[in-house]
Amino acid sequence: MTETEIHVTFDMCSQARYLPIIRATVGQLAAMIGWDAEESRSITLAVDEALANVIRHAYHGRTDGRIELQIRAAEGELQFRMRNTGDPPDPARICAREVGCDKIGGLGTHIIRDVMDTVSYESGPEGNWFIAAKRLRRQA
Amino acid sequence: MTISVRQSGAAQVVDLDGEVDFGTSPHLRRALFDLLGKTSKLAINLQALTYIDSSGIATLIEVLKDAQRLQKEFVLFGLSPAVQDVFRLTHVNRVFRIVETEEQAVAPA
Repeated sequence: MTETEIHVTFDMCSQARYLPIIRATVGQLAAMIGWDAEESRSITLAVDEALANVIRHAYHGRTDGRIELQIRAAEGELQFRMRNTGDPPDPARICAREVGCDKIGGLGTHIIRDVMDTVSYESGPEGNWFIAAKRLRRQA
Repeated sequence: MTISVRQSGAAQVVDLDGEVDFGTSPHLRRALFDLLGKTSKLAINLQALTYIDSSGIATLIEVLKDAQRLQKEFVLFGLSPAVQDVFRLTHVNRVFRIVETEEQAVAPA
């Protein structure tokens, strides 16, 4: 780890009451790296949506599922790795909803894709991983 | 999140304060559906809302659709910067009737 890096790990149960704590941390890290208030809010929202999707779809609202979120904040970049041991995501449902319409639900994965630079979903013996990253683009 | 309700003309004005997320949106949903059954017009004040996620947006869409089914008015006003960000990201601006002020919101359509 370099002098300009910070690693933060949350190991928690799948409970919505922890979401504000994660949001506060992500927002502070984004601001520290250099994103403005609007961009920091968007990054925070995207991570919050990923967490809510795990609670809703991987654990179906169960409150005893385990979620591990690793955040690496380095110079100009935020990386997120989130693991759960619930049901794997259904690729057919990711960004399946049309945007700009009055259909209920399905907006979260669009937000994540629009905000983050890279997003991937992986499943294996140790669980399901959500991996995303956002790089700061400095104006010339 | 706190939900306060007051009468303004023919409309019930709902002042939302704080954060609407996956944990709190079910409470908002119950409150708005309950109010929709008691009035012909719901005006939602989003000025003091500091956070809303897609579950909050979905709740608003759900109430809007029920208002349309019941031929009632459902209008949003005073969108805070945080709410505007999420509306922009989710492209739902055109789904709702959105006005700037309470006066515009409660005025007869």
